[in-house]
Amino acid sequence: MRFGLYRKIVHSLILMMLGMPALSAEDRPLALQIDEMIAAKFEGQIPAPGSDDAEFLRRICLDLSGRIPTADETRRFLDNPTVDKRAQMVDQLLAAPTYAQRMQELFHVVLMERRGDNDKWTNYLRTAFEQNKHWDQIVRELLFPDAEDESRRGAGFFYSKRLEAYGQNPTDYPGLTRDVGRLFLGSDLQCAQCHNHLFIDDYKQHDFQGLYSVYLNLSIKSGLEFPAVTEKPMQKKLEFVSVFDSTQRETGPRIPFATEFAIPEQSKEGPAVSVLALLADEFPTQGDTLFAKNIANRLWFVMMGRGLVHPLDLHHSGNPPSHPELLDLLASEFAAHQYDIKWMLRELALTQTYQRSSRFPVTLVDTTGAAAGASTEVNTAQISPECYVLFNEKRMLAEQLLHSTLQATGNLDRLQQPAADGKPNPELVELTARYVAPFANEAREPEDQISPTVKGALFTLNDETLLQLLSRQPGNLIDRLITMTDEQLLADELYLSVFTRKPTDAECKELLAWLAQNGDGREKAIGLWAWSMLTSMEFVVNH
Amino acid sequence: MGTDMSQRKLCKPWEHRSSRRQLLGTMAAGGLGLRSFLQPSVADELAKNDKQVLLIWLDGGMSQLESWDPKPNTEFGGPFRAIPTSVPGINVCELLQHTAKQMHHLAVLRSVCTQDNSHSAGVARINRGDPKNRGVEYPFLGSAVAKLLGPTSSGMPPYVWIKPYSGGFKASDAGFLGAKYGALALGDGKPPDNLLLNKSISAEENELRNELRQKFNERYAIGRRKEWTEANSYVYELAKKLMERGDLFDESSFTDKDRERYGTHELGRYLLLARRTLETGVRFVKVNSYHWDSHGDNFNACDSLIRQFDQPFAALIEDLHDRSMLNNVLVIVMSEFGRTPKINSHVGRDHWPEAWSIAMAGAGIKRGVVVGKTNDQGTFVDSQPHDIGDLFHTWFKAMGVSEGLMQYDNHGQPLPVAHDDCSPISELLA
Repeated sequence: MRFGLYRKIVHSLILMMLGMPALSAEDRPLALQIDEMIAAKFEGQIPAPGSDDAEFLRRICLDLSGRIPTADETRRFLDNPTVDKRAQMVDQLLAAPTYAQRMQELFHVVLMERRGDNDKWTNYLRTAFEQNKHWDQIVRELLFPDAEDESRRGAGFFYSKRLEAYGQNPTDYPGLTRDVGRLFLGSDLQCAQCHNHLFIDDYKQHDFQGLYSVYLNLSIKSGLEFPAVTEKPMQKKLEFVSVFDSTQRETGPRIPFATEFAIPEQSKEGPAVSVLALLADEFPTQGDTLFAKNIANRLWFVMMGRGLVHPLDLHHSGNPPSHPELLDLLASEFAAHQYDIKWMLRELALTQTYQRSSRFPVTLVDTTGAAAGASTEVNTAQISPECYVLFNEKRMLAEQLLHSTLQATGNLDRLQQPAADGKPNPELVELTARYVAPFANEAREPEDQISPTVKGALFTLNDETLLQLLSRQPGNLIDRLITMTDEQLLADELYLSVFTRKPTDAECKELLAWLAQNGDGREKAIGLWAWSMLTSMEFVVNH
Repeated sequence: MGTDMSQRKLCKPWEHRSSRRQLLGTMAAGGLGLRSFLQPSVADELAKNDKQVLLIWLDGGMSQLESWDPKPNTEFGGPFRAIPTSVPGINVCELLQHTAKQMHHLAVLRSVCTQDNSHSAGVARINRGDPKNRGVEYPFLGSAVAKLLGPTSSGMPPYVWIKPYSGGFKASDAGFLGAKYGALALGDGKPPDNLLLNKSISAEENELRNELRQKFNERYAIGRRKEWTEANSYVYELAKKLMERGDLFDESSFTDKDRERYGTHELGRYLLLARRTLETGVRFVKVNSYHWDSHGDNFNACDSLIRQFDQPFAALIEDLHDRSMLNNVLVIVMSEFGRTPKINSHVGRDHWPEAWSIAMAGAGIKRGVVVGKTNDQGTFVDSQPHDIGDLFHTWFKAMGVSEGLMQYDNHGQPLPVAHDDCSPISELLA
């Protein structure tokens, strides 16, 4: 039955061969090889300079801990003379408890696409990242959420939520099949449900139907205190017809792009043999190298703001990667490191590509003549996101935006204290719901680009939430600022807290003039200025 | 603490202006207006285009036989009579008794022949105009118009969707164009959340803080990609316009006569609100009505549903004409498909994309015409059939979208706005 071992060996050999050029080209760090491959395709464009320390710190904190740093953390980092302080910061953030929280929030959104949430699921993801469970293991658990195994049964939410009817739709088995292809193989097989894909030669109808045949036997198991599904034993192959030629075909269980496997014989005595378990076990080692490429591409996207294959779920020969050899390298190296997500994120964070600035410097042309102060700017409209000469600005998840807002306004420490019963602070839970409503996409829509909305604008303009965070409370940002008498220190504290950088001279002057104008309404004046910073692009975007 | 600045000397209007200049410096001037969003030549062209659209979407599929294309006294004709209209020679079903009097304003296409007979695929297909598959998710008509023509000179959000159930901001119509071209949805005709300025902020303070925010944004955009900052400015501009026109949502300001003419039922209220929404300058208004999927008891269902449509629709056409708006507003009535001529065993009609009708009126559209025909039994089109792609071409032309604008730029990928192989239906164009 377990014919998978042989396949695994062959698969590892293929991956090793893919990785050969890299291995033979001495043991240079992966980060260096990545940067070379990216630079090879600049095609004459001059890349933006490296980020400064403040820009880097804000970015890496958002990516690895899901929030901006405090003003004090920023000061310490800026003042730290150590040469490799960036690498140290990366390691520190990967080791901090905030890492697992950030990954839980990130992968919750990636895997559930705002369908809903569940405590057991949250705990499952959190624990998985606390233990640095590797991606192949996580996927095996998602695809076979063994209800007998307490440590992994929270993963059942991935299936059970998708099997719920919503609106007038019956159980969406095709949708579940599609999602498994999209999320774990980067392949949207939706059109291949009814016929071989018209425009994507790689997507065949049997790839869809083979996986679908497994899921048709799945249903929600209710009445438990954790999310779970049950599986009927598979009796026979699934028959299907192409809507084009009406030929009758059939397939047994199949991982997309791999060969069909035999329906296991069920013995009358022993426990039922689970097709789902077989599928889950084999899944990471099959389907060409798409399993590795999909997750390498998704992690690349998380860090670099643009997939090497983009959209993320359209890996096929008609939509080639912007840097094919780089994706091969990332996939094979990632597989060679047993899909260790932490390792991968660290490698990506150490590249120049990641540490590049999101802005071009502006050259002042003439400081004396008629055009005093005029400047030339690189025309950024001409720069495509897949060339990485400029760091791609990234959308913040509603959770990142909330945590950063709480951090900036000095409310995070208080709200992160768990309630007496050990559960998350109910105020934080409430705030999260309030932020998800205007800033998250609707259910089933991937959140893969910056998308300002009127709803979000009306929320920041008029909702109580943000204004309350900006009202004076002991120890919060406004409280700290109001008690400061040295105005330069006040400006530093405000800009370090919100923008994770010191103010420029011009900004200082403006702020001081503003405060002077509003001498007797200081709290209000500071509040308005801080509001404008918190709702501006520099704050709401990860840049 | 917490002094209300509107009470203070600083914020008297004249002082407020000068202090603001002082504080914000030269960068505050101008800012990224809506028009900076577009290339100058396109912006000039659009500045002259004040065409608007009202799309009435009858979800589930309106029966053409009980509305625009009656076949009385035939095998599948059903129990209703055909009645004459204000245009000699054109008859419609008796359930459209009010609309019949407005027929001289309308154009009906009876030769619609489309591709899909399932709701799940059909709704999206018709709303997108069924363009050729290019591996992207095309926008629905409202988002397409929001993108191509932008807001009117009113600055109001370009796409408002009046619908039952939930409101909010619905990005899903926008497809690859991105969320900012989505619809502002007024759930059950109610205003969006957070429409009113927070009580703790005065109007002057609101203006000041937004100017600061805008100034920070302009600074941020230097040396960076501009598109995100522009998208951000755009949604704040729209939010501001909406807040200024909060009166739009005050149902109490409609007259009793209006309510009587449109009716107090759901579709009546929505179409009355649609009239006002068009009056405030919203570019594209979509009104949804549900439950048209009459697989059972079709004739009683139509007796109720089509009358619910007929009364307010006729009133709306009359009002748009009386207000000289009909030259400017393109009105479209459609569903994802028509209904089968064959009457099933539940006295219902099923899904029928093969031969159905779409009605329209207003901007750029010929008045008082029927184009195309079905055979005597109403089963198939008996003239040149027209797919939804032809209609999209027709409507874009009626809206004055020039050839040069009939292509999207999806990050360098050129995408035709409507199906390449389809073309405008000249018989419908004025």
